[in-house]
Amino acid sequence: MDYTLSDKDVLKERMEYTGVHPQKFLLWLAMASMTMFFGALTSALIVKKADIQTWENFRLPTVFIYSTIAVVAVSVLMHFSLIQYRKAKFGLFRVLFSIAFVMAILFLGLQYLGWKQLEAIGMTLDGNISGSFIYLITSLHGLHIVIGLLITLIFLANAIRSRKDPIYELSNIANPKRVFNLEMLVTFWHYIDAVWVYLYVFLYFNYQ
Amino acid sequence: MQTVAHGDVHTQDTHHGDHGHHDHHEQSWLEKYVFSTDHKIVAKQFLITGMMWAIVGALLSVLFRIQLAWPDETFPFLETFLGKWAEGGKISNEFYNALITMHGTILIFFVLTGGLSGTFANLLIPYQIGSRDMASGFINMLSYWFFFIASMVMFSSFFIQTGPAAGGWTAYPPLNGLRDTAISKGSGLGFDLWALAMVLFIISSLLGGLNYISTTLNLRTKGMTMFKLPLTVWSFMLTAVIGLLAFPALLAGVALLEFDRLLGTSFYLNDIIINGNLLDYKGGSPILYQHLFWFLGHPEVYIIILPAMGIVSEVISVHSRKPIFGYRAMVMSLSTIVVISFLVWAHHMFVSGMNPNLGAVFMLFSLLIAVPSSIKTFNWLGTIWRGSLRLNSPMMFAIGFVSMFITGGVTGIILGSAAIDIQLHDTYFVIAHFHLVMGVAAFFGMFAGVYHWFPRFYGRYMNETLGMIHFWITLIGGYAIFFPMHFMNDIPRRYYSFANFETFNRFEDMMVFITVSAIIVFLAQLLFVVNFFYSIFKGRKVEGEVCNPWGSTTLEWTAPVERLHGNWPGELPTVYRWPYDYSVNGRDFIPQNEPLKPGEVEHQ
Repeated sequence: MDYTLSDKDVLKERMEYTGVHPQKFLLWLAMASMTMFFGALTSALIVKKADIQTWENFRLPTVFIYSTIAVVAVSVLMHFSLIQYRKAKFGLFRVLFSIAFVMAILFLGLQYLGWKQLEAIGMTLDGNISGSFIYLITSLHGLHIVIGLLITLIFLANAIRSRKDPIYELSNIANPKRVFNLEMLVTFWHYIDAVWVYLYVFLYFNYQ
Repeated sequence: MQTVAHGDVHTQDTHHGDHGHHDHHEQSWLEKYVFSTDHKIVAKQFLITGMMWAIVGALLSVLFRIQLAWPDETFPFLETFLGKWAEGGKISNEFYNALITMHGTILIFFVLTGGLSGTFANLLIPYQIGSRDMASGFINMLSYWFFFIASMVMFSSFFIQTGPAAGGWTAYPPLNGLRDTAISKGSGLGFDLWALAMVLFIISSLLGGLNYISTTLNLRTKGMTMFKLPLTVWSFMLTAVIGLLAFPALLAGVALLEFDRLLGTSFYLNDIIINGNLLDYKGGSPILYQHLFWFLGHPEVYIIILPAMGIVSEVISVHSRKPIFGYRAMVMSLSTIVVISFLVWAHHMFVSGMNPNLGAVFMLFSLLIAVPSSIKTFNWLGTIWRGSLRLNSPMMFAIGFVSMFITGGVTGIILGSAAIDIQLHDTYFVIAHFHLVMGVAAFFGMFAGVYHWFPRFYGRYMNETLGMIHFWITLIGGYAIFFPMHFMNDIPRRYYSFANFETFNRFEDMMVFITVSAIIVFLAQLLFVVNFFYSIFKGRKVEGEVCNPWGSTTLEWTAPVERLHGNWPGELPTVYRWPYDYSVNGRDFIPQNEPLKPGEVEHQ
């Protein structure tokens, strides 16, 4: 006899006597791992900077301030969209969520502008290591943003589809799993945005 | 046949609606056996993929051993199989480098990390903690399929024109930092495929590890406190913790390396002259890579050995019919190993020109790790001491593990001291050390696990006679291969041929002896593979309704023989006692889910 269960069934019996949602815990662990990844990159920068004589110093391009603002905006918008979703105000949710999505794309655009500004001051990708590090760190962080965007796209498609499907939209309220999924997504965005804020501050003080 | 819809959260929404888990549908064969989210199927997938990789990885070592034993002979059959890599029946030096590189990569990552953790953590964590499945079956499935794709990418590199990566499994720059097939054929596309496969492999490991930790911490059944967990579960969880914190460093290291190779940065490269031309790389240093690499690379050996230790603890206790000696000491020493494993990485870099004072710190921690390791060893011996031993194949392999671990571990103390390590660095002595302590030993742990839990996988036993033959050949053969290498402690490893070095030529006969042993051991492993697949279909069946062939206390043996997604047909078992109640109160064993008798005191 073979039968199989959904994740929900696996978790159901357990939620009664453990406080933490296992899948949320899983996300936190993933964050710990990503923190190690960015930690490794930034410590590589510190080691290299202390290590070599040919490190060229320059000021971090100003456009990165704007991308930091954009990324904080993503976080704030995501936060409020989740609140609206919990209140079942799906119209407002869709607006906030869509703007957050656009802001995240804007963030990537601003990072690209940052690269252009770096090139303009002569810090090319294959030039001095001090410049290379900024390309390295921004692109690997950007990769995480891209993955976040792809997952957000699924949510966005669902949100836009449900606009014309009142039954689907109503079942949002009755379906805690959907709220949970959104919470997971928003948590990821908070994390990856916070990582950029850390990276910005880190880079700012290392490139004076 | 009842089935519940599962899979991606979004499809689940549309399938389920408000029906909850009463909405059953037939699962297709593909869902059930290929893209399965059932931890038992995922475990089998890991096991069988791991076995295939083990055969490939071991075969590679046989090939380069042939070259080392008979450098002057030609073997026409090699040309038949390998074509241009063995023209005239002699393995080319380029291919020799590729062989040793891929041998290391495959066995360390794809067999002893993916195959070992992937198989047993997936099988045992949900079973032994009394859970229906992993925290996220979907992520668990992704973990296997990333592993599979990584395997395919790695395997495909054997079939490209420039051949697979050939710069050592450590992939040190600058050799691997330049994408130039004139330097070495393997530094072309082969290395990029190696790096891509490693990235996919790391993602697979991380996805798996997230599940192992979250499941262990959050999905334990009623009464299953942390100190009632079997040592296997402790070891798998702690292994995942190491992986979770160490693998990202390798990911970063490989990212920088690929930036150097593909985008022209100079993170690891500095003033390189090739054929009289100065290349345009400035300011980088390969030492940075070594730090990033060994920050994973050393914890990696504990990722390999910890699951084996957990399996061995369980197997030794069950087949000695005795409680494990020093349960808490075992848990503490596992945890101590996890912490210290992050503080020893630079002992691989004593010859890199690092500050000797810094080296002394790393040396201290490296030697310290002998303390928890010896605690574990003595506890295994203490468990065996005066037990009613059942000397069957799982037990023999578990004892073999202890033997190999001691032999290999003792030389670890020798190599841990910087002053001696500088002399012995990159010699056959090092090969002997790490193959015994984490290669052969981990394999012994894995074999013990497969023989022991085979009834749990398939409801049948493996053939005992074949198992014993397999054990004795592997034990004697393992020592025959690696013990002589201790005496070759001035012979550099990785050399293709010693023809030009008079002083290194004095071990010719020993080389032949080692190679012959390696071939015999390799053939014995095929015996295991035959036994495995034969027993799936024809093995002796486990009697009884509940699958408990060894008289074990742990929860995986309270589940029915047939495979159910959800493991237990009714309620989950509740746990009342620790997992090692063997030969107590006049009984052979008391299962964990049996309530304490009035007046009975819980094991502390």
